[in-house]
Amino acid sequence: MIALYQHRPSPVHQLHPLTKLAISFGVIVLALGLGVDWVPLVLYLLVLVPLSALARVAGPFVRTSLRILLPFAISLFVIQSLFFPEGNTILARLGPLSIKAEGVRFAFAGTVRILLMAGALLLTLLTTHPGLLLTGLVQKGFPPALAYVIVTTLQIVPQMRERASTIIDAQRARGLETQGSLLVRARALLPLIGPLVLGSLLDVEERSLALEAHVQRHNAQDQPLPSAGPHLGAGAQMVDCAGHARGDWLPAC
Amino acid sequence: MIPLALEEVSFTYPSGVTALREISLTVAPGESVALIGQNGSGKTTLARHLNGLLQPSSGRVMIGDWDTRQHTVAKLAARVGYVFQHPEHQIFKRSVQDEVAFGPRNLGFAPARVAQLVEQALQATQLSTVADQHPHDLLPALRKRVALASVLAMDTPVVVLDEPTTGQDAQGVRAIGEIVERVRAGGRTIITISHDIDFCADHCSRLIVLGGGRVLLDGPRETVFAHGDILEQTAVEPPQLVRLAQRLRLPLAWEPQPLLAALEQSQRQR
Amino acid sequence: MIQLRNVSYTYPEATTPALNGISLDIAAGEVCAVIGPNGAGKSTLCYTIAGFAPYHFRGELTGEVVVDGRRTVEHPLGELVKHCGLVFHNPLNQISGARYTVREEPAFGLENLGMPRPYMQARVNDVLELLGIAALAERSPFELSGGQQQRVALASILVMGPRVLLLDEPTSQLDPHGTKEVFAAIKALSQTGVTVVLIEHKPELVAEFADRVIVLHGGQVQLDGAPRAVLADPRLPPLGVSVARYTQLAHTARERGLWPAQAPLPVTLDETVAGFELPSINPSSSRPAHGSGQ
Ligand SMILES: Nc1ncnc2c1ncn2[C@@H]1O[C@H](COP(=O)(O)OP(=O)(O)OP(=O)(O)O)[C@@H](O)[C@H]1O
Ligand SMILES: Nc1ncnc2c1ncn2[C@@H]1O[C@H](COP(=O)(O)OP(=O)(O)OP(=O)(O)O)[C@@H](O)[C@H]1O
Ligand SMILES: [Mg+2]
Ligand SMILES: [Mg+2]
Repeated sequence: MIALYQHRPSPVHQLHPLTKLAISFGVIVLALGLGVDWVPLVLYLLVLVPLSALARVAGPFVRTSLRILLPFAISLFVIQSLFFPEGNTILARLGPLSIKAEGVRFAFAGTVRILLMAGALLLTLLTTHPGLLLTGLVQKGFPPALAYVIVTTLQIVPQMRERASTIIDAQRARGLETQGSLLVRARALLPLIGPLVLGSLLDVEERSLALEAHVQRHNAQDQPLPSAGPHLGAGAQMVDCAGHARGDWLPAC
Repeated sequence: MIPLALEEVSFTYPSGVTALREISLTVAPGESVALIGQNGSGKTTLARHLNGLLQPSSGRVMIGDWDTRQHTVAKLAARVGYVFQHPEHQIFKRSVQDEVAFGPRNLGFAPARVAQLVEQALQATQLSTVADQHPHDLLPALRKRVALASVLAMDTPVVVLDEPTTGQDAQGVRAIGEIVERVRAGGRTIITISHDIDFCADHCSRLIVLGGGRVLLDGPRETVFAHGDILEQTAVEPPQLVRLAQRLRLPLAWEPQPLLAALEQSQRQR
Repeated sequence: MIQLRNVSYTYPEATTPALNGISLDIAAGEVCAVIGPNGAGKSTLCYTIAGFAPYHFRGELTGEVVVDGRRTVEHPLGELVKHCGLVFHNPLNQISGARYTVREEPAFGLENLGMPRPYMQARVNDVLELLGIAALAERSPFELSGGQQQRVALASILVMGPRVLLLDEPTSQLDPHGTKEVFAAIKALSQTGVTVVLIEHKPELVAEFADRVIVLHGGQVQLDGAPRAVLADPRLPPLGVSVARYTQLAHTARERGLWPAQAPLPVTLDETVAGFELPSINPSSSRPAHGSGQ
């Protein structure tokens, strides 16, 4: 499945999309505003996880948020614990390198913040049909183009996942080993990341062309309708005539 | 050189769509086979079984003496080269040459052999002149040929091409036709998936027609093209010259020479 | 409907222009096929008509592009694209990603237009039916075969009913029946006044469905005329464009005296059949009724 959205009968699903977005941002602001290292973790465990259970999406919620977190957590811990600039409390030595307590603490703080932010947004995405989210935003007066960009950006994670699996398949088909030791897997990352990033950029290019076609039309709605009138007429005729071409409509056009 | 065998292969996607239904077929080494049929008939799904990207829900796929279940995709890559329907996604090196060398290096060939295979593949795809360019600076049609070259360079006994001619101009289609011929002349097996029936008639001596996840027809060109009714079911049209021969009530032919000879004869008779 | 006056366009950072001094006049309701080798500028021509070049791609545009009475440089892109439906070559990038089922994808554009729901649903159903994907309506657009995805992309543009359709190899992955159905639908649309610019590599399809054929090469218009004249033109192969097998066959046949020497070469199956079925091909006999249409 490409989509994050999980269809379930739950009170969380019933909430207005914007209410959910507001709660998400509220939780994030609260956690970051307090500036205490462990607060995001507590909020995640005591607010978000129970809410996800209430929405019957606890499994995908925890799994996906950890999956998003993992690469950040690893790089944060490796880089910060070894190279934190103001670190002088040395916990352990690894040859010429040393692990510093300040770095570990900084990495922990960063990791739990990312966990909370990812979790808060994820909960909304898992429980909100993107179409409803889009409609909700537009109804509240968001410019349609902006609403569209927000929703598709939030969806970019699953789209990347889809693309990533295509690329992995292609590279495996060219003899790239992706299963096995950590070293083997690490080596497999490069041929994945290159096309993923470059491909996504090219994709964004073309996608934004398609978007302009979709969304700009939407803006056109604000203008007086006469231009849209004959427009729709032609469209309806189109379908009629196209059907006619296949011989299953009466010759009306 | 190795044979391929599908034994009662069925496949259902996790979403519940059954794409292959009890497909059994064998392909001998050195055959040039076309896989044709309507959109959604299961061609790509079948091809993805040949290098283990998909595993049958039931039945088994044998690549020579290997059961695809027992080998990783990376291992199977040494036997089956597969060019994807949208291969642009796989390109990641900074030069065409490096991109093409990626596959053979993965297979552990010696550097001299890699260099030789890369050169041959670039020549076959008419890309030698752009060997040092960045693949993303090439026209899309050429980029597609880079992907083709990168699989050819792996020198696998079996090559699978998924829609190789889309987006290619006349020269590009010709180049791909020559590649198919060359692979076949080297005694390797080549399987082409295509909606371009004229291309298939030119370069593939055996046609396998899929419809609704089943094999509807399987045989040499003359047999398959004679079954217009079955082809119709799976949205396939015979090649241009075959349709012409049928309309003129001449013996079935997909090449100009026999058709011209038949025309000559029938006009002399009048 | 579409007028280009001496239009040249150069992509940013490119040294040579992608379009070089193009002048064209495409009438409302015309199906105008654009053919030419890879890199000829076909896609760029579509982008220019739609206003994406130079609005989106930047780059340098000279000359004048007028679509439906509007000079593209004088109007915001949003207003231009209202009337233009552009279908790209790669369907995946056309699918909005904001919707989860095949049915919702074309509905997306209509919702934006604020169309009443029942009408919208009927409309979407008709288009899905037309493109042979009604049975896939509840599936995810990402879990489809290549050709099925291309049909979805096409459906989401057709459903909007644009006045100008710009189609960049819209059927490259479709099976032959699907291709013919789509082209027949496009043809029928054009008869209601929709203007169509169609990029296509297959000459036998162009011959059957286009009113006019333009051959691009090196960013310039090399040939422009009725399909029957252009598609049998001996200058095509040197320009890197193939001719239909029928045309090729008749050409060889003519050299061997099997096709009337003075008759034009055929470009469709029907014309070829008619030409070969003549009672006599003796050059001194009367000219064939069919081949005289030039
Ligand atoms: N990733 C997927 N998830 C679920 N179903 C799929 C997926 N890919 C393809 N299918 C379905 O499986 C069936 C066979 O698809 P397949 O891609 O093999 O067709 P194909 O013959 O290659 O068609 P085309 O000519 O359009 O490429 C179709 O019904 C399709 O909708
Ligand atoms: N985004 C871009 N940036 C820079 N140059 C480009 C871009 N797109 C195309 N070009 C160049 O413009 C020229 C015309 O390209 P275009 O894509 O219009 O050709 P085409 O006729 O559509 O080819 P094809 O048959 O391969 O689709 C080519 O030389 C190409 O390299
Ligand atoms: Mg396919
Ligand atoms: Mg193009």
